[in-house]
Amino acid sequence: MNYDIMLTGVGGEGVLTTQVVLARAANFDRYMVEGVQLHGLAQRGGHIPAFVRLHPFNQTVSPAVMQANADLILAFEPLEAIRAAYYARKEKTVFLINDDPLKPVYGNILDIPYPSTEEIKKRVSGFAKEVHVIRASETAKQKFGKKIYGNILMLGYAKAKGLLPISEESIIKAVKETVRYDVDKNIKAFKLGLEMGR
Amino acid sequence: MDLLKPAGKKVVLLGNEAIARGALEAGVGVFAAYPGTPSSEVPIALSRVAKQRGLIFEYTANEKVAFETAAGAALSGVRAMTSMKHFGLNVAADSVGPIAYYGTKAGFVILVADDPNGWSSAQSEQDTRYYSRMFKVPTLEPSDPQEALDLTRFAFDLSEEFHVPVFVRSTTKVSHVIETVTLGKFKKPKTRGVFAKDLEHYNNIRPGLQKLHRELDEKIKKIEKKYGKKINKVYNKNSKQKIGIITSGVSFQYTMELLNMLGAKIPVAEINMTFPLSEDFISSFIKDKKKVLVVEELEPIVEEFVNKTAKKVNPRLVVHGKDLLPSDGEYTLELLLPVFEKFLKRDLKLDLKAHKRKYDNILKGLPPRKPVMCYGCPHRSTFYAVKEIFGDGPHVIYPGDIGCYVLGIFEPFKMQDLVVSMGASIGIGHGITRVSDQDVVVFVGDSTFFHAGMPELATLRFHDGKSPLVVVLDNHVTAMTGHQPHPGSGFTATSNPTKAIDIAEVAKALGAEVRVVNSFNQKQLKQALQELKEVKGPRVLVSRGECRLFWKRSMAKKGLSWPVFEIDQNKCQKCGVCTDKFSCPAIIKDTSGALPVFKIDPNLCWGCSVCAQVCPYGAIRVKKEESK
Repeated sequence: MNYDIMLTGVGGEGVLTTQVVLARAANFDRYMVEGVQLHGLAQRGGHIPAFVRLHPFNQTVSPAVMQANADLILAFEPLEAIRAAYYARKEKTVFLINDDPLKPVYGNILDIPYPSTEEIKKRVSGFAKEVHVIRASETAKQKFGKKIYGNILMLGYAKAKGLLPISEESIIKAVKETVRYDVDKNIKAFKLGLEMGR
Repeated sequence: MDLLKPAGKKVVLLGNEAIARGALEAGVGVFAAYPGTPSSEVPIALSRVAKQRGLIFEYTANEKVAFETAAGAALSGVRAMTSMKHFGLNVAADSVGPIAYYGTKAGFVILVADDPNGWSSAQSEQDTRYYSRMFKVPTLEPSDPQEALDLTRFAFDLSEEFHVPVFVRSTTKVSHVIETVTLGKFKKPKTRGVFAKDLEHYNNIRPGLQKLHRELDEKIKKIEKKYGKKINKVYNKNSKQKIGIITSGVSFQYTMELLNMLGAKIPVAEINMTFPLSEDFISSFIKDKKKVLVVEELEPIVEEFVNKTAKKVNPRLVVHGKDLLPSDGEYTLELLLPVFEKFLKRDLKLDLKAHKRKYDNILKGLPPRKPVMCYGCPHRSTFYAVKEIFGDGPHVIYPGDIGCYVLGIFEPFKMQDLVVSMGASIGIGHGITRVSDQDVVVFVGDSTFFHAGMPELATLRFHDGKSPLVVVLDNHVTAMTGHQPHPGSGFTATSNPTKAIDIAEVAKALGAEVRVVNSFNQKQLKQALQELKEVKGPRVLVSRGECRLFWKRSMAKKGLSWPVFEIDQNKCQKCGVCTDKFSCPAIIKDTSGALPVFKIDPNLCWGCSVCAQVCPYGAIRVKKEESK
């Protein structure tokens, strides 16, 4: 099967590491994997669009998801869920949003208020089959001491909701091979995400 | 580490890692580079494995030195490589032509990563394939990480077989793409060689020059003959359709996916060698066609060649390309789809325009998220102090340069009035100062100073009169591209300690009046700026403060914590200096109540203390608990 995942969030908050975990896990499950991973200027606190596209080996698939064509959008920051809607459509796309706003400084300077979670849900609703909002970062901070584990917790939640066609074992193996520090806490966060999603 | 997994394994690699792996499989012995995104991860990957694989790895002061280092090794019989971004080739260019004439002994490969759409570059969307033609350097062009690996490995063989340097040209959507890649076998690197004197061959004074030129032309013809048909590929070969697509680079990937979506099995030619283009290959592809579409990002290089070839073999052929597709930016599936639909006379009936209109609607009134200097960035502090002393408006010009500080172009500073090329802030500032009474303060980074700033600074001492104030933003590393060391860092590419060159001493030797300050100390900054404001001749402020991201990572590695700051709500007068003028992203203005509330997010504060120094009411102080 083909399955298109978009990950979005803010540069420097672990989006790309999470992308690599997903890609490696899919590779262990014998998918062919493609994806975009931007570096450099775009990374400095800007928004990061990243993709993971799973498909069989006998197909040529390009690295970027097409407009209106994502199956799953993992938004690690709520405001960025709205911008990611470019890749979403009502009949197909599921949003999983981490309710941990990182308010851009330009909102301060230009006096543009940050939208409420309700407002964000409302705006993406025209582009979503389902919208899940969870407090992944906050939960991770309370349970394991750092917000960053919220990223892997999100994967656990998505898995439990049937949104990731990748096995749990492969995700755990990929976490072990990818995450540089605190592998145990990341795996615990993944398992907590699984519980929260069940 | 996936980069070193054994042959036959399927692993997920970044395009640039795949290029690094290709070089390792070719047994590269010497690798030298100056980092430049989107090529940076090639040297990053190789620097991590250099000791283990036994190759010589170096960062150099700029791309020209890197190119020459690799060329010297290759001329001495050791397989060598360098990598650079498109603009890097402008810097190296001076040496590329002569080396192409000389040729090489061992394989010599130059990876050049173009950046259509400017994901990691401003300035221009230049197309390296023009350089291929100007310097007559064979150029291989992968469409994805697997081809990037295979073609890089092959580039060494090609270079060695014909004794020419070879470009591998990638773009952002090849270099910064991850893909499942099948690995090949390593070749053990050879790192010792000898330069064999040969004054007859290396004599490039005429008529030797013309002889070398003729020899290079001969080599290019031979490469076209031997590999032109072999290296480029045709897909859907058995199709009887009289229409076809000719494509290269990542556009090949989009093409195949779109044809699959549209259910169209028409012949597709993938050009893997964009210089020399093969007349035989193109002729045999187009001779029985009625029309073709050429899909290539940036300039119509393949298209012009197809037109030229069609005149000879199929003058009635209709060639589409840049008449339907843009020369600027990157292609995407959705950009290409309507063109493919028109070309194939099919319609998927996806109303993407309506979708886009609906999407634009939900974006209204959202706060923008442009890239921003990090929490605690030393550059923010320096920009703030310079603005305090020199002000804002038409009387003061702030030429900028290439590095993280280019982000000073955005609010609230807007202190990068123009950004041209590495080190150009000084030259442009000098030119303005020659004709205008405006104040000129230029910003240049430490790595950029070593890269191209020194000859610029030397020029200032070389004439009488006023000079711009040169502010060197010294954060100790090449931060923008991933914290690579430079000659002032004090450690080498493979993390061995080395003697750091002191920028202040260099600036003094180049004839400037110099002040050195701590970037995190506003008082020092302002005093030095005030003093240098009165100096007429060459003047340099070295603002030293370690890249806070690099600092934070090393603190985290050591398991150390740091004091974080908080705002005393009783003292805060809600003036907004910390958010609207200083604008550290860790400081949040909560406007949900009747009056705004200013807070520091303790999860985000990296403890630089500068906000406490700029607060006019002394309302910012160290918080009791610490953060990691």
